[in-house]
Amino acid sequence: MNMGSQMKKRSTQALGETHVSAANVMTTPNANVRFWIITILPVLLGLATLKLR
Amino acid sequence: MLLALAQWLAQDVRFFSVFNYITLRTVFAAMTALGISFLVGPTMIRKLTAYKIGQSVRSDGPQTHLVKAGTPTMGGALILISIAITTLLWGDLRNHYVWVALFATLGFGVIGWVDDYRKVVHRNPKGLSAKAKMFWQSIVALVIGFYLWNSASLPAHTELIVPFLKFLVFPLPALLFIALTYFVIVGTSNAVNLTDGLDGLAIMPTVLVSGALALFAYVAGNAVFSKYLGIPYIPGAGELAVFCGAIAGAGLAFLWFNAYPAEVFMGDVGALALGAALGTVAVIVRQELVLFIMGGVFVVEAISVMIQVASFKLTGKRVFRMAPLHHHYELKGWKETQVVVRFWIITILLVLLGLATLKLR
Repeated sequence: MNMGSQMKKRSTQALGETHVSAANVMTTPNANVRFWIITILPVLLGLATLKLR
Repeated sequence: MLLALAQWLAQDVRFFSVFNYITLRTVFAAMTALGISFLVGPTMIRKLTAYKIGQSVRSDGPQTHLVKAGTPTMGGALILISIAITTLLWGDLRNHYVWVALFATLGFGVIGWVDDYRKVVHRNPKGLSAKAKMFWQSIVALVIGFYLWNSASLPAHTELIVPFLKFLVFPLPALLFIALTYFVIVGTSNAVNLTDGLDGLAIMPTVLVSGALALFAYVAGNAVFSKYLGIPYIPGAGELAVFCGAIAGAGLAFLWFNAYPAEVFMGDVGALALGAALGTVAVIVRQELVLFIMGGVFVVEAISVMIQVASFKLTGKRVFRMAPLHHHYELKGWKETQVVVRFWIITILLVLLGLATLKLR
């Protein structure tokens, strides 16, 4: 088995979702900021649980 | 609209009365605006690119910015659409402050839109002339000033309060109140516009400040909290928290596309409107001076331009390597992303300082 076929078996191009994003299309700052925004979403959901109970 | 529907449904199903809570609607407004912008954003960027609505880059600016030429602009329309739809969905439409805030946002948005449209579609580099822009901004701001003065029913509605000093309150006569309203709205609008020169630089501070103003609006609209914290009680102002939540949500989603390297710029249509929105909310909740603190980055950017122009006219020398201030730091060797994130960090600190005024007085 050569390196090429090993590469094809990988489910992601790199370990860690941030590296996958950076390796695909996003630049590092782009990936950073988008992951911050994604983090804010569950925070908002968490805040909503204060009232929705 | 959804509030009215929920109130109607609550007559039969008690669960729906949960939507009467401003806090819940604020969170939902943020998430709705975020969702709308995420859904519409990619299509809008494709359309703007297809129609070649691209930003022209100032030739005397930093050389690193020349690669940005042609990036789609007028993306602020996306923010405004999200804010308007979300506010109409989750806001209490019987509340006149909601309409004042929407009027300011959309009024300044139209001015910015005309300016952008002339620049990028008609290829007129001057866009709307400075005089015409100032004239229309003044009209919108003065209309708001007159309306707020005439609709004021309590002394607290027209008092100027000083942060950190509980007992220092200045009752404003009509002329001073309208003048202050005018300067806060027009000043903030133009300051945000000047700040909008690097990817993500203007939108994140806007999100942070609107989030803080949401809290101020909620507290000002609550008789118990406002009395406890010693800030003016403005009945109905709490509903502006929903509006601010919509700004924060739409702004965050816009940042997704505006983060370095930006896929789209907000243009004057976004910057002027968002600045006016922040200024209007600050005026209504009587936190003009706190806005001055929290929006310190906007203030410093605007002042840097004034100093640069005044210095050059008076002495022929420049104080900064380039104005607005963010270009000065770029020319000093900071990377664009460093300038942006550092200005965000400064804004976070200033917003925390602004929030501290709630207790430290």
